[in-house]
Amino acid sequence: MSEGKKVVDGLYYSKDHEWARIEDGVVVVGITDHAQHALHEITYVEISEVGTVVNAGEECGLVESMKASSDIFSPVSGEIIEVNTELEDAPEIVNEDPYGRGWMFKIRPSKLEEDLKSLMTSEEYSKYIAELQE
Amino acid sequence: MAGRAYSGAPMNTGLKRTHLYEWHVKHGDIVEFAGWEMPVRFSDIREEHMAVREAVGIFDTTHMARFSISGPDAVDFLQTVTTNNVRKLRINMGHYSTCLNERGGVRDDLMLYRVGEHEFIWVTNASNASKIWGHLQEHSSGFDVHLEDWSRRVVMIAVQGPNALELLSRMANTDVRSLPRFSCSRMTLFGQDCYLCRTGYTGEAGGEILLLDTPFNDEGRRKAIEFWERILSTGEDLGARPCGLGSRDSTRLEAGFVLYGHELDEDTSPIEARIPYAVKLKVEPHYIGYDVVYRHKKEGAIRKTRIGFVMVDRGIPRQGYRLLSDGNEIGVVTSGGLSPILGKGIGMGYVSPGSVDEGDTIEVDIKGRIRRAEARKWPFYDPQRYGEARNQ
Repeated sequence: MSEGKKVVDGLYYSKDHEWARIEDGVVVVGITDHAQHALHEITYVEISEVGTVVNAGEECGLVESMKASSDIFSPVSGEIIEVNTELEDAPEIVNEDPYGRGWMFKIRPSKLEEDLKSLMTSEEYSKYIAELQE
Repeated sequence: MAGRAYSGAPMNTGLKRTHLYEWHVKHGDIVEFAGWEMPVRFSDIREEHMAVREAVGIFDTTHMARFSISGPDAVDFLQTVTTNNVRKLRINMGHYSTCLNERGGVRDDLMLYRVGEHEFIWVTNASNASKIWGHLQEHSSGFDVHLEDWSRRVVMIAVQGPNALELLSRMANTDVRSLPRFSCSRMTLFGQDCYLCRTGYTGEAGGEILLLDTPFNDEGRRKAIEFWERILSTGEDLGARPCGLGSRDSTRLEAGFVLYGHELDEDTSPIEARIPYAVKLKVEPHYIGYDVVYRHKKEGAIRKTRIGFVMVDRGIPRQGYRLLSDGNEIGVVTSGGLSPILGKGIGMGYVSPGSVDEGDTIEVDIKGRIRRAEARKWPFYDPQRYGEARNQ
């Protein structure tokens, strides 16, 4: 497991420690390295069903670690079009590769430009988590 | 993402530390627990959990409070404030008990060890330490007893698992397997004056060590760390691992043991909590709360009852989630988590008396997702394969 400091350039970040990557007009969402490191030992991931329409900042899933349950919030508004089913049997992938194979769901965004304004860049998020750790 | 996982991260000052803190901070992740800075894990909670089930796990439990109660009236006094039969407790033995309020609700659960005709050691939860100390002070007036708080000068370490008795025998330089369960013997471990109690909170065989003469100063801390490290090195070939509060909680949950603040509180009687072995009715004098537990035990006049359950559908139950039966609310979850042995969510909770039988299908409201579970008696592991009574 990594040390929880990795931040990837080109992604958008929420204060709740989700990341969003834009791929051909679709938004891929996961939780950050900082989040997986703080949770440790992720044992369970559940995301709302495909077809669910969510607003930015709305709860749309949960992550369980050995110690606690945490909500997942969607960083953007839109419709969930795919959920990473690999995590059902192997939730530890989120610990191992939070920005890659540990992605959680894909959203067809409904008002992407507006939603992106309230998310952070990688530089801003790096600063944000550095402040949290002080 | 948001949740309770972050609540333990930043440290405030004013929290207490055990003698072993310097070791913990070097080797583990520290969280706040009941006013203490304690290790939640040293490596991985599931690995530590499995070490307890399959080898041996070592826990620092110094955060728990230890009170010495002695004097000619010790038995009479303790019988007024605890629910087990103190008179029947033999010297060098311990028993599990509860301390109640006037309404029969649990002020705390405890282990009481009789170390002399008129000498007892009371081990109580960290979260209730000052409340219980006050309770004992208040109710001891009129009794010829002497109360001493040993919490700061006695270190407590639990050694738990199928290899624990082998490790403890090495430490004692004598075979401790013949010591009966719940015994409490004064003996020398690694040359140090200790009590070895054949008790624990994991479901596994093992012991809880009281390392005596360990004041909270540089010398006492050095002594405690040396002792701790020597347990780990002596048990290395037995698979000994340091374990944090994470696996302490997951092992006790899998064994179906109650935890104060979850299954026990001031509005719950020990009969409702289904710990009847902690409650005796043929005692003299009657303890505080006696009349209520008498009615609960003899007349079945309980308001709720504790159940255990294993998830059938996906999902992890957590404290506070609603329990349902055919869509109707019947109770609430008090503890929940993943069972590393079963690979499933398990939990305990309270339901209306008579609403659930063992084997019934119930539902858990996991943040709006209704998931099925099967009502099951604890322990949740197969007792033929795990736990103190396993087939060797």
